[in-house]
Amino acid sequence: MNWGQLAITVVTLVSILGVVTLVLNMQYGHAGLINFGVVAYFAAGAYTYVLLTQAPPSEASLDQYAIGLDLPAWAGLAGAAVAGLVFAAITGWPTLRLRGEYLALTTFAFAEVFHSFIVNEQRFANGTRGLVGVPRPYREELSFIDYDIALAVAALVFLIIAYVIFERIVRSPYGRALEALRDDELALVTSGKRSRRFRLEIFLFTAPFAAMAGAFYIWYTTLAIPDLFTAEVTFIVWIALVLGGEGSNRGALIGITLVILFEELIRAIPFDTIRAAQIAASLEVAALGLLLIIFLRWQPFASLTRAPKRVARSG
Amino acid sequence: MRVTQLIVLGLGTGAFLLIATLGFSLVRRVEGFLNIAHAELMSVAAFVTWYLNADLGWHFVLAAAIAVVVTAFIALAIARLIYDPIKHLGPPILLISSVGVAFLLHGITSAVIGVGIRSFQIPRLDAWNVGGVLVTPYRIALLVLAGLVAVGLALFLNKTRTGKSIRAMAINKELAGSRGINVNAASRATWLLAGLLAGLGGVALGVLGTLTTDIAFQQILVILAVAIVAGLGSLYGVIAAAFIVAFAMDLSLLILPGGYRPVIAFAIVIVVLLVRPQGVAGSRPELTA
Repeated sequence: MNWGQLAITVVTLVSILGVVTLVLNMQYGHAGLINFGVVAYFAAGAYTYVLLTQAPPSEASLDQYAIGLDLPAWAGLAGAAVAGLVFAAITGWPTLRLRGEYLALTTFAFAEVFHSFIVNEQRFANGTRGLVGVPRPYREELSFIDYDIALAVAALVFLIIAYVIFERIVRSPYGRALEALRDDELALVTSGKRSRRFRLEIFLFTAPFAAMAGAFYIWYTTLAIPDLFTAEVTFIVWIALVLGGEGSNRGALIGITLVILFEELIRAIPFDTIRAAQIAASLEVAALGLLLIIFLRWQPFASLTRAPKRVARSG
Repeated sequence: MRVTQLIVLGLGTGAFLLIATLGFSLVRRVEGFLNIAHAELMSVAAFVTWYLNADLGWHFVLAAAIAVVVTAFIALAIARLIYDPIKHLGPPILLISSVGVAFLLHGITSAVIGVGIRSFQIPRLDAWNVGGVLVTPYRIALLVLAGLVAVGLALFLNKTRTGKSIRAMAINKELAGSRGINVNAASRATWLLAGLLAGLGGVALGVLGTLTTDIAFQQILVILAVAIVAGLGSLYGVIAAAFIVAFAMDLSLLILPGGYRPVIAFAIVIVVLLVRPQGVAGSRPELTA
């Protein structure tokens, strides 16, 4: 087994999905909004990046996608952020009206509709086939270093930036208002804050980060296929968040690190037959489910990572 | 003619959705949370039936009956071992936990069954041509089964002691308990019933088409849609909602490619949640769930 390669893979994936976990933690852990469609931002960012940077479709190939603007990578990344913002605006306005599990279902529904659109609309990005071999940006400029390492470093820097920004928000008065939204919305409204505004703002503000993480994911996989952007991404991120203890950005990162380590270690085991590999992949899914159940029940990391409630509960 | 054919198709889809959603809605009403693992229970029932029927060669009806009973007890065991201890943490945590249960069941079934397409050993019956519209006997049987299930459930909930205590619990658990209703027995009956209905739904799934281990996930999306259109709490609304969603999905084939069927279901969900969150049959909004 190549431990160096494994380490690079883990760092890259933890950084990319770590940003998505942080986004979810801001929405659920801090503001109490249950988003079961977080993959939609991720996918919207990824596909926007691809459509902006891809060469226009050639007549000769089997490609069916209609748009390819051939823009530079930084423009694609910026476009991904804008796509995240637009998608958050679309999925964010129901949050003004819905609470709890109703919000969970609506966000889930939006993500599924978007996923179906990607799968079925051939002219958008080749449907089920997707786009394979998406070029990785700045290859020549980075030829002095192994590209995988450069990407891992870039993803890690992105994660650190997101972490620092989110931590600053959490520790600001604004962050305390968000926690009040989670703990006692009535008290927040009574003290003269507009809870509706906070709900929409936290969606609008955090979604672009998840969308940009989608662009990083394209650089890592070089694939834009619908199978990579299913509800499983949402569930993995939820499992990570619950593992680490929601409400703490540090906990969110511990959670996603454990999940990715677990997945990659299983994937690194060599299997003799396809059937053995298939059983291992299935048991991996079962084990993730079991972990989620166990951690929800006993919450072993909660006392380590979760910040003590600042708001004293009355009555 | 095409429209008539699709309406007939929709009747079958609606019957299946009715069976599949009733158990889900019952749990939502009595236990108070959305059990995402409900569809995986359907998949368990379908594959137990498949194993007994196609692998061991048992008669289909016997295999299906055993599978449905086994599924009912699995549902009860999951409730006691996993959901009951975390009940105090509230519906959202139970919902997330049920995603874990869905993963667990899905992982186990796909590890045991493996990839590939399976089908039951049942006779292939030719479709009847009724005035130019094709009707398959199995779809008619399913429609009859759905009718029996709906009537049976209504009778059970209205006429039997356990049924009445389930209804009392659904309205107010504390009050039911303090009035001497055996809350534990009612909860046990709820889970057995939900598992039974999920089992029937799983068998129906295998009769109508072929089985893969991924089939459950696609179903939970539509079940959620039906449950929301019905109003999350209402059982009678489920009957109307199952057929509304089924007709909308099947008639959409007139204007959209088949891949868009789930999108139709979810478009309905989004519209209903935003316009009439209490559902077609619900009376009071429960927005602060």
